[in-house]
Amino acid sequence: MNLGDPFLLCVISIVTLAVLGLPIGHAMIASSILYLALSGQDMGIAAEQILNGLFSSYILLAVPLFILAAELMNSGSMTLRLLAFCNAFVGRFSGGLALVNVAQSVIFAGMSGSAIADAAGTGKMMQKMMTEGGKYPPQFAAALTAASAVIGPIIPPSIPVVVYSLVSDASIGFLFLAGVVPGLLMGLMQAGIILTSARRRNFPVEEPVPFRELPGVTFRALPALMMPVVLLGGIYGGATTPTEAAAVAALYALLVSAFLYRSVTFPSLYNSLRSSARITSSIGMLIAGALVFNYVVTVENIPSTLNQWLQGFDLDPLIFLLIVNLILLVLGCLLEGTTILLVIVPVFIPTANALGIDLVHFGIVCVVNIMIGLITPPYGLLLFVMTSISGQPLRAIVTEVLPFLFAMLFALALITFVPDLSLWLPRLFGYKG
Amino acid sequence: MMSRFATLGRWLHLFAEFISAMMLCVMFCAFIAQVTFRYVLNMPGGSASELTIVMWLWLVLWGAAFVLRESEEIRFDVIYTSANPKLRRVMTLVSSVVLLCLYGYSLPAVWDYVTFMKVQETSYLDIRYDYLYSIYILFVVAVLIRYGWIVVMTLKGREELPETRGEGMQ
Repeated sequence: MNLGDPFLLCVISIVTLAVLGLPIGHAMIASSILYLALSGQDMGIAAEQILNGLFSSYILLAVPLFILAAELMNSGSMTLRLLAFCNAFVGRFSGGLALVNVAQSVIFAGMSGSAIADAAGTGKMMQKMMTEGGKYPPQFAAALTAASAVIGPIIPPSIPVVVYSLVSDASIGFLFLAGVVPGLLMGLMQAGIILTSARRRNFPVEEPVPFRELPGVTFRALPALMMPVVLLGGIYGGATTPTEAAAVAALYALLVSAFLYRSVTFPSLYNSLRSSARITSSIGMLIAGALVFNYVVTVENIPSTLNQWLQGFDLDPLIFLLIVNLILLVLGCLLEGTTILLVIVPVFIPTANALGIDLVHFGIVCVVNIMIGLITPPYGLLLFVMTSISGQPLRAIVTEVLPFLFAMLFALALITFVPDLSLWLPRLFGYKG
Repeated sequence: MMSRFATLGRWLHLFAEFISAMMLCVMFCAFIAQVTFRYVLNMPGGSASELTIVMWLWLVLWGAAFVLRESEEIRFDVIYTSANPKLRRVMTLVSSVVLLCLYGYSLPAVWDYVTFMKVQETSYLDIRYDYLYSIYILFVVAVLIRYGWIVVMTLKGREELPETRGEGMQ
């Protein structure tokens, strides 16, 4: 490979343009045009790849629909009911509200599919509740909210999982199921940290909700709690495709907030549509860039070259997973997760396949890993979101987030080396992996 | 005069935003129609399904061309945000000019590709592909105008670029 090599120049150009601050989607499209021009190919190929790619990736339609469902959920009073529900069950323990924070993340994970949406939506509310009257140190509340939001995209529905399923061809239904146990495991670990430090740090206990009120609280939250059932039930009952299930979930969110909770107005509906459309476009640009860059990568035969090269080392699958984890952790601190899933992960997939690593398991490892990047200092995006929500300095939040970060890394190690954690549930539903 | 332009610009932006919200709405309704037709009325139909994906294609490129603000784009800005304003302006200028050159250079080929596609029509709605794909030409032209504008503004010393990176979908 010499310096005049079009592919090398294309990669250098992407990195340079991105570092200079150009949106990553544009950096990829522009650099791929450069590649096409240098290698003497028709530059119309860039347009062809983007247009045909977007027009044929039916599965990606789940992305805007999940975003819409989450927006509709967040705009209503559904959040309040879910928080009341969580509080009724776990508020009575020491560090009660902190536990509520984790519990709501696990439950909300069943609807939004996006960690940022979780932190900015319910996270904001949790931050306020936890710091009211000086109950919890604000930097602890912020760190916990960031850490618990990470669980969201592990438990279905999950937008990163949809993107992974696009690049890997692994079944989206089984991927969704595979995230459930790892997500719960991560939630339990966070709860463990809270319980062990609650006594030492004298965290308050919430007023216990009498047991006879539990059915009422549950009943009021039930329509919201049913959301994951509607979604997964649609897919596994064989009634709908995953993309259609996403549409049904959005419709369900709309109907519940409009008729049961009466919290939807036309302006709020329009706002939900508008902001979902915006998020869709900004993700779509990234996907467009990845589509044309992946064409370049395929023409240059990069994944199979890498595969052959790695085969030469006679790698143990576990060593390979370890290496991939390290690479993704480093990248996850710097790059946005979708970019990593669309551009970096596909390069590893042929090798993972050749080493006999299950692609559903591999997907969960990648997604968990990328989510951890969101709370890794100094550049984890969720840390910044919480800095702006809580008004606490980044340094203070970072100190508090470290125990959670180490616990999540431990969870990642478990999920990586014990494939059954991810694969047990899908197998129960007939996955032959 | 300038303020009249600004007002017009705001209205046009609101309108573009309205269109993108409506595209999402149509996509959503078409999905529901598709599910209803297939499972409730037992009438599989490809038209609704095709409409959803047409809306998706247009939504992404329309939004990227006319709706997204600079602050909403997903970018890698560790270095950009830590640079001083002077260096930042140089960075913006260099990357924008490179983008203008490459997109501009590819425009004729894009035009050829899109107009060539007139020979095909979509399977259910019989939309001519050159009409369907014309959104890409709009997108490229809009990007060229936007980045031309950014170059002019940066040269004039006005900086409107964001301090934080886009939120994406994580």
